[in-house]
Amino acid sequence: MEKPDDDRSSSEGAAASSPLNNRRSAGRWMERPDGAAKAAGKLVYLTDMKKPGMLHGKILRSSYPHARLLEVDVSAASQMPGVHAVLTADDVPGLNGYGIVTQDIPVFCTDRVRHVGDVIAAVAADTAELAAAALSAVRVQYEQLAVIDDPALALAPDAPQLHEGGNVLARTRAAFGDADSAFDSCAVIVEEEYVTPRQLHLYMETEGGLFVPEEDGRLTVYSPTQHGYKDRLQLSRILAMPEESIRVVSSPIGGSFGGKDELNVQPYGALLALYTGRPVKMHNSRRESVRSSIKRHPMRIRMKTGADKDGRIIAHRADILADTGAYATLGREVLMFATEHASGPYRIPNVLIEGLSVFTNNGVAGEFRGFGGNQVIFALEGQIERLADRLGLDAWELRRRNLREADDPGPLGQKIAPTDGARQVWEAALRSPLMTKRGGGAQGEEPWLLRGVGAAIVMHGGGLGYGIPDPAGGRLRLADDGKLEAVFGFEEFGQGVISVLTLLMRDHFGCAGEDIRIVIGDTDTVPHTGSATASRATAMAWQAMQRLAPPFAESMLRKAAELLGCTLDQLETGEGGIWRTADPFPVWDCQSERSSPEACSPSCQTLALTYRQLAAAMAEPLVQETSFDFPVTSSATPAVGSHFLYSYASVVTEVEVDMLTGKVRVLRTDHAVAAGPVVNPMGFLGQIEGGSVMALGFTLTEDVVMEEGRYARQQLDTYMIPTIRDIPRQVCVEAVEQLPEDDPFGPRGVGEIGTVGLAPAVAAAVRNACGSWISRLPIRPEQLIRPYHAVRQHWRGGDIGD
Amino acid sequence: MIETNFRLSCTVNGEPIERLVQPARRLLDLLREDMDLTGTKPGCEAGRCGACMVLVDGQPMNACLMMAYQCEGRSVVTIEGLSGCGQRHASGSHPAESYADEPHPIQRAIVAEGGLQCGYCTPGIVISLAGLYNRTVAPSREQIEEALSGNLCRCTGYEGIIRAAMRASSHPDPTP
Ligand code: FES
Ligand code: FES
Repeated sequence: MEKPDDDRSSSEGAAASSPLNNRRSAGRWMERPDGAAKAAGKLVYLTDMKKPGMLHGKILRSSYPHARLLEVDVSAASQMPGVHAVLTADDVPGLNGYGIVTQDIPVFCTDRVRHVGDVIAAVAADTAELAAAALSAVRVQYEQLAVIDDPALALAPDAPQLHEGGNVLARTRAAFGDADSAFDSCAVIVEEEYVTPRQLHLYMETEGGLFVPEEDGRLTVYSPTQHGYKDRLQLSRILAMPEESIRVVSSPIGGSFGGKDELNVQPYGALLALYTGRPVKMHNSRRESVRSSIKRHPMRIRMKTGADKDGRIIAHRADILADTGAYATLGREVLMFATEHASGPYRIPNVLIEGLSVFTNNGVAGEFRGFGGNQVIFALEGQIERLADRLGLDAWELRRRNLREADDPGPLGQKIAPTDGARQVWEAALRSPLMTKRGGGAQGEEPWLLRGVGAAIVMHGGGLGYGIPDPAGGRLRLADDGKLEAVFGFEEFGQGVISVLTLLMRDHFGCAGEDIRIVIGDTDTVPHTGSATASRATAMAWQAMQRLAPPFAESMLRKAAELLGCTLDQLETGEGGIWRTADPFPVWDCQSERSSPEACSPSCQTLALTYRQLAAAMAEPLVQETSFDFPVTSSATPAVGSHFLYSYASVVTEVEVDMLTGKVRVLRTDHAVAAGPVVNPMGFLGQIEGGSVMALGFTLTEDVVMEEGRYARQQLDTYMIPTIRDIPRQVCVEAVEQLPEDDPFGPRGVGEIGTVGLAPAVAAAVRNACGSWISRLPIRPEQLIRPYHAVRQHWRGGDIGD
Repeated sequence: MIETNFRLSCTVNGEPIERLVQPARRLLDLLREDMDLTGTKPGCEAGRCGACMVLVDGQPMNACLMMAYQCEGRSVVTIEGLSGCGQRHASGSHPAESYADEPHPIQRAIVAEGGLQCGYCTPGIVISLAGLYNRTVAPSREQIEEALSGNLCRCTGYEGIIRAAMRASSHPDPTP
């Protein structure tokens, strides 16, 4: 892993493991098909859309984090000129609730509000200004209730109960061996509490869209989501309309990261459009987005980990307390994921993990890239560092002694697809030149700048997990105009699913970009292929294409052979159409003017039939479909939610701590990711680079601070994400592509794993730089800052100047 | 209602325009709402994210902070103008010749280097860099970082953007 700007075009032989920065050699570095339109500002996002006669919708949200709702009076607002509808709970024809798993989020609140994003009314008016004015004319009477702004408060015996079932959304438990008594035989035990922040997804495009009642009675919803069909299902319940009467167009999307998977403005846009009979546009301001959107779960994780004197981990205990906010959404699933991942890629004979996800009035926490893994891996890797310190061992060596083997069961004891990913990324990290500097700290350019190197390792499951319906599929179609269509129900929120599908089509059919049409993001045209979440889309697209392409190609060739009067084996698919292969009957009119089969190069082949000609000759359109499920463990009684396909990553980083300001600067990061073959190098690289900068924010600056259930940071002037000035000067990404020879599953996902390992690596690096243990994120400069004299003391002999 | 509208005349993507605008009308709304130039994006509407960046007399400006009337007599270039597609919905007009339908080198580079994912920040990034290339031939990495310090991108981690900017800076093109 040298400089990222090295030319690696000659590293063909290292295909199993190659740095991705600047990798162009294999011809797979492909410009995004949607890239030019995006760069030109021509791509129309769903929040850019308008229609003649369109109204503007706005939402009235609760003034209090917790209150009884006594009265909602919309009469004044309804009478305002230019206001076309003011809707409340009485106007919901179907289910007044939504939620991906449990429909406990009220569309409109009726008797109680549980967070400041809760909705009371929605308005459609001629202009956005009028709609805002109408909102302020809605009179709402509240009776304030005690605010539960901390999960510990929610668990107090006399705490007000936020839901009928109490304040606990979910409990989890995973146990192997007997952790509590195994601690007795440990030579060292480390115990620590880790605290992680409430992170904002901060997709650049805030929630919104256009909602259009069609003349035939149907409704078209143009609004970003990660799973169009699921929105359609949820909307059909709310609107009491058959699913088929709703069309959800859901791509392109200006970023999501899990944040737009749950419904946001869609119920309101849809209801307002149906009530007024006119198109309604919704688009959240940034403040409203912060106020209403789901966030990453803040977690408080207590861990106790013990090892023998050789550094073999014998016992591990984790207690996870998650603040899930006011409603369920995917809080239970996030906790399950955290529970599964809290022992990482390590062999530990005695494990006890217990999780608790608790309702509070702190907004709503839900799905976010990494899905609970980020928090527990930060804690777990912190434990490993502390253990190594206590044992006087190198922390990377300590990891090696405990690392899982390829055939070991998964963290919940389930059988998993065997790969040697953990070992591969562990070894890859050692190739980083930074690793020679680990251990001791060093001085930077000034005496008060201290540098240190740290590293971490990650194991991350893909797919929704055992026992959770996780269907996949896809469709290929030879369209009338001769395009080879790949039709999938995935969404494009920037991750590059269009590129992935294009590359897979090229791989399977040898066709050109112009021959391909990718159809996604519209429930009227795409099949059910499951969601674009949980790092699953690339893996599922690859597996679908493995099933679809051979029979589809054969059908095309069979028809072509029939038309051309030749045999199947004389033809193959290629650029522009069906090609006649030179062997065994080379064609005469080729440039070389030779006929012996051996002498023929591929250039002798001729295009026998274009795809358009083939399509025209078809009596009925050629379509190939498949549906299957995301592969799950074959264990007899696996834990619900346990995963089968895992990706692995290591991160090595060097940081510089300014002891006078407490500021941490990440200088360089080297990533190694083992996730099977890389389908789309540009996308893979982008996922790791982008994910790790998102993790940099999680580590250093990002926290949606709340005070008594209210957002203390509501805009980008106080909620700080990394800018171009904050990123490392150097980032290296290495893909370890090698899988066991008989592995049938192909690429694993990398959409999330890049967001996980950086925080613990930085924490270790900070410790190595200046001696401070980090157990709380984001790292607070106050914790690191040292008085001037102490800094001088630290670097006796260093010229600090006066 | 009291008539307080301001008669604005300026050029947008090389086209002279004349319009009555309310004093509180932001340039962002003039472009997106009135002229359908939706390549200019709202990300924060508080001058923090740079998604709304446009060139005003060649200088990058936040269209969410600038009032429409402040453009009086000035030249506004949006992402659409940079890439030459001009005013897509302006009836009867066609883009001025100087805005040929050719991507700016930075637009080509950002696609080639994977400097965009969701693309929502991209118009603003491209405009900021175009502003930089207006002032500076072959800018350094420091100058690139300075020029982009007002643009947030949540997807790419900026790495691809830097690759693109460095690549474009080795073939500077002073237009427009
Ligand atoms: S919208 Fe103008 S800076 Fe964010
Ligand atoms: S590409 Fe999505 S915000 Fe920059």
